[in-house]
Amino acid sequence: MAEYTLLIILFAPFAGALTLIFVSNRQLSLVRGIAAGSAFISLIASIYLFYAYDPLRGGFQFIQRIEWSRQLGIALHLGVDGIGTPLVLASSILLFAGIFVSWHIKDRIKEFYIWILILAAATIGVFISLDLFFLYFFYEMSVIPMYLLLGMWGSHTKKYLEMTDPEGLKQRDSVGFIFNFGANSKEYAAMKLVLFLSAFAVVALMGILLIYKFSGLNTFDILVLREQAHFSGPLATVIWLLIFFGFASIAPIWPLHSWSPVGHAAAPAATSMLHAGVLMKLGHFSIIRVAFEILPETTRELMPIAAVLCIFSIIYGGLVAYYAKDTKYVIGYSSSSHMGYVFLGMAALDYISLSGAVIYMFAHAMATGMLFAMAGWVYDQTHTRDIPSLGGLSNRMPFISAAFIIGCMASIGMPGTVNFIAEVMIIVGSWNKYPFQVVIAVLGIVLTMAYLFKMMRGLFYGSMAEKYSHSHDAVTVVDRLPLLIMITVSISFGIFPGHLYSVVRSGVDPLIARITKVVPVAEHSRDKSRAALPLMPPTAPEAIAKVAPQ
Amino acid sequence: MTFSLTLSASDLLLLLPELFLTAWLCVVLIADFSFKRIVQEQLAYLTILGLTMTLACLVWFDITGLTGTLFGKMFVLDRLAIFFKVLILLATILVILLSIDYVHRFSFFRGEYYFLVAMSALGMMFMASANDLLSLFVTLEFATFGFYVLVSYLREDMASNEAGLKFFILGVFAAGLLAYGISLVFGETGKLVFSDMSGATPTTGLVIGFLLIFAALGFKIGAVPFHSWIPDTYQGAPTPVTAFLSIAPKVAAFAILLRLFLVALATFKPAWTLLIVAASILSMTYGNIVAISQRNIKRLLAYSGIAQVGNVLIGLAAGTKMGTDSILFYLLTYLFANLGAFAVIMAISNAVGSDEIDDYSGLNRRSPFLAFAMLLFLLSLAGVPPLAGFIGKLYIFVAAIKEGLYVLITVGLINIVISMYYYLIVVKKMYISEPLDTSPIKTTGPLRAVIYVGLAGTLVIGIYPQPFLDWAVAATLMFSHFMAPSASMPPPATPFGG
Repeated sequence: MAEYTLLIILFAPFAGALTLIFVSNRQLSLVRGIAAGSAFISLIASIYLFYAYDPLRGGFQFIQRIEWSRQLGIALHLGVDGIGTPLVLASSILLFAGIFVSWHIKDRIKEFYIWILILAAATIGVFISLDLFFLYFFYEMSVIPMYLLLGMWGSHTKKYLEMTDPEGLKQRDSVGFIFNFGANSKEYAAMKLVLFLSAFAVVALMGILLIYKFSGLNTFDILVLREQAHFSGPLATVIWLLIFFGFASIAPIWPLHSWSPVGHAAAPAATSMLHAGVLMKLGHFSIIRVAFEILPETTRELMPIAAVLCIFSIIYGGLVAYYAKDTKYVIGYSSSSHMGYVFLGMAALDYISLSGAVIYMFAHAMATGMLFAMAGWVYDQTHTRDIPSLGGLSNRMPFISAAFIIGCMASIGMPGTVNFIAEVMIIVGSWNKYPFQVVIAVLGIVLTMAYLFKMMRGLFYGSMAEKYSHSHDAVTVVDRLPLLIMITVSISFGIFPGHLYSVVRSGVDPLIARITKVVPVAEHSRDKSRAALPLMPPTAPEAIAKVAPQ
Repeated sequence: MTFSLTLSASDLLLLLPELFLTAWLCVVLIADFSFKRIVQEQLAYLTILGLTMTLACLVWFDITGLTGTLFGKMFVLDRLAIFFKVLILLATILVILLSIDYVHRFSFFRGEYYFLVAMSALGMMFMASANDLLSLFVTLEFATFGFYVLVSYLREDMASNEAGLKFFILGVFAAGLLAYGISLVFGETGKLVFSDMSGATPTTGLVIGFLLIFAALGFKIGAVPFHSWIPDTYQGAPTPVTAFLSIAPKVAAFAILLRLFLVALATFKPAWTLLIVAASILSMTYGNIVAISQRNIKRLLAYSGIAQVGNVLIGLAAGTKMGTDSILFYLLTYLFANLGAFAVIMAISNAVGSDEIDDYSGLNRRSPFLAFAMLLFLLSLAGVPPLAGFIGKLYIFVAAIKEGLYVLITVGLINIVISMYYYLIVVKKMYISEPLDTSPIKTTGPLRAVIYVGLAGTLVIGIYPQPFLDWAVAATLMFSHFMAPSASMPPPATPFGG
């Protein structure tokens, strides 16, 4: 049973989608039941995976290998390490929550659930693939459902270019503008997203094909390539750049971000949750899995590129989020901005900072999932996302506004949420190498606070327009469940991060050791809980208290 | 050169599929005019029965490994020929199923229609076995003959007549080129059989001769710059004929191209690689870019077909055993996706009476099944996992990167993104746009059957391709001498100047 965990996590949503094809759209409760049931199976298996993963043993666990093509050297090789495990958990939590968030969809709900199950299964597939072919296979497979989800159930994004600052001056995302051809429709957003991601996916595919050719091993297996393939010189640089920029576009790193906020804004709530929560992490994860594992030396040389670009990601995304007037743009740009922290954590190539980056991916999935779910709720009730026209909704929606405060706190990284731990680890871990970026990152946190509080005030406080007086709160279990799950996860890992931390460290340690050729202190003492201490500057005692396992 | 025209029983066995099909065609023709009251659907199923039995015979040959040559190597039956014949017969069976509803539109000669389709199939089966320049010419013309009639079968329709005329004039021109090329090659080498030519010295006349032969075959597969007949002919021809035209002649012509380039011209590989690379880049780029602006679905598929041929040529440019495998595999995936897409087009055209992409608006609400099937077929053509087209494209790219064709692969990858755009425009119409007319679309049994076969092929090959890959690999064992040198060669040093 235990060895099939990954297959269950991966194929339960696929099986659910397949079953749904044969169910009529009129059997509403059956459709919902099948979708929720298959997501639930996947969730339970992921929770089992997360707690059954043995961080002391480390490495890749739950390995499954099914021969797929001899000629091409492809096998369905599945396995998770400490980096993949929390991301699989995050994906299935968000899928389960997303099913409930989209409970009230009226139009073609069966098709909606089919595509969202395929989307989530494909993202999970990337996180557990140990074969370059299947990594790409699932990566590309996750793009097409996005097109249909955005196009069929999305909403038009009005006034994309019109954002006003406090003085009333028109602002716009000038980098996004380069790639914006003036259309604000959901069809445009969906097409842009798919073409952008496909275009960069083939860049990554070129890198993968070059790895396949020049390794001369006739295999796509990451574990074999990691051990036996050696790349050096200009070839390694070319492959690394193809892999990095191919996958970083989905992350999305500045200046390749412009598809992302448009896509967030057009997407239905559950899709935005999965998109921001896990789809964007495919980029970071694939860079770690492919570039870090197979090209460690080149990673050490070229990762400063990410350290430079992440400054722009953080500041640029934050500033646009501050001026944006559309709730989903604010959250979308805040996601772009926050993904810059992950790049900073990755660029520093430090045990603490990379662990922080991985935990941040998990934490951000929960926080941004909450925010998008609530922005979706507000949109469903008021049919607008325009912040200036909203206000005073806390009277009508006490639960939502309370949850929104928690979501903002998590997104800012208040102590008590898992985001805090991740942020502190990234900042502390990269201080030695990139002090300037750390200062920027701290400024970014201030900026986050500014735009999230601004949006919170705009939505929930002040005076309410008369036309919104009919809007109501999330009262039923179905409506509250997804938010409660994400809040619970965010806070409980914030207070008890021990297992999460040790799982992530068990994945990060061998990777960083390979890249930097510095053996972590914990290798000597065999006590992973003290590994952080010598690297931790004395200025952050509370961080030590938080990161140490309970 | 001696021709032995005495046939023994074992020689006849090699010809059994063709002989059987010829006899069966006579039966179909006789049944058509002797029984006046015969329903044309029964005639269709009679033809399918004959084709299926021929197919079974070929499968039996494939299993028993029966091979051999006839008529002084003019006719060859090897596993490559069997593979291509199976593809041609599969395509023909599916096309006849597609035609059953459509044939009612013809005012007369309904029975002869099936005869002509099956006769073209017979010609193309001979093409797959053609092993020298003479049989190349004869079989190619034999196969094209039926198409000249079929394309202009809608006698009252101006577009169909125009298509037929265009196809005929350009086809005859290509035949002229072919005959001239053959005469030049024969004049320079004094040889007709492909496998005898491999040692020839490259003279100007020989080069021009082979270029002319390539032009004539390029016309058949519709590669740029020999593509100009394709869009109008595809649009004007009756839709089942378009479907037939879009796959079967291409498959047959690729059988000849493989024999020509990898057997007759094997020693000149460095010289012709550039030619194929150029044709491939032009076909992919031109086909995909022009397809973007199409408003008619048949024209869209015509241009996408030009681009797909460019993709297949990547495998030929690689010129290795693996490249050949990838061509065979790709054609198999293309067959299911393309014929499936045409089946959906016909179902819609029967209900709506139009092939304009605008009439696909809201198809998802009118017929979720048709919309979903079309989505999968188009995505397979675009090369999106987990569909068959993705594996096909990847296999071709892997074969090409092993030969270091970086520019070609880069162009191919960029073209995937371009093609994604116009396929998604159709998807947008079907899924996102609201329907102009909400009446549900009914699909008839034969069309449904073709769609099911297409879906099964597209999904099964995409998810579990191993048996099909094995089949393609086994079919090209004759080319395995290409693999030997490249496998023993050390991996080349970095090509980036480092």
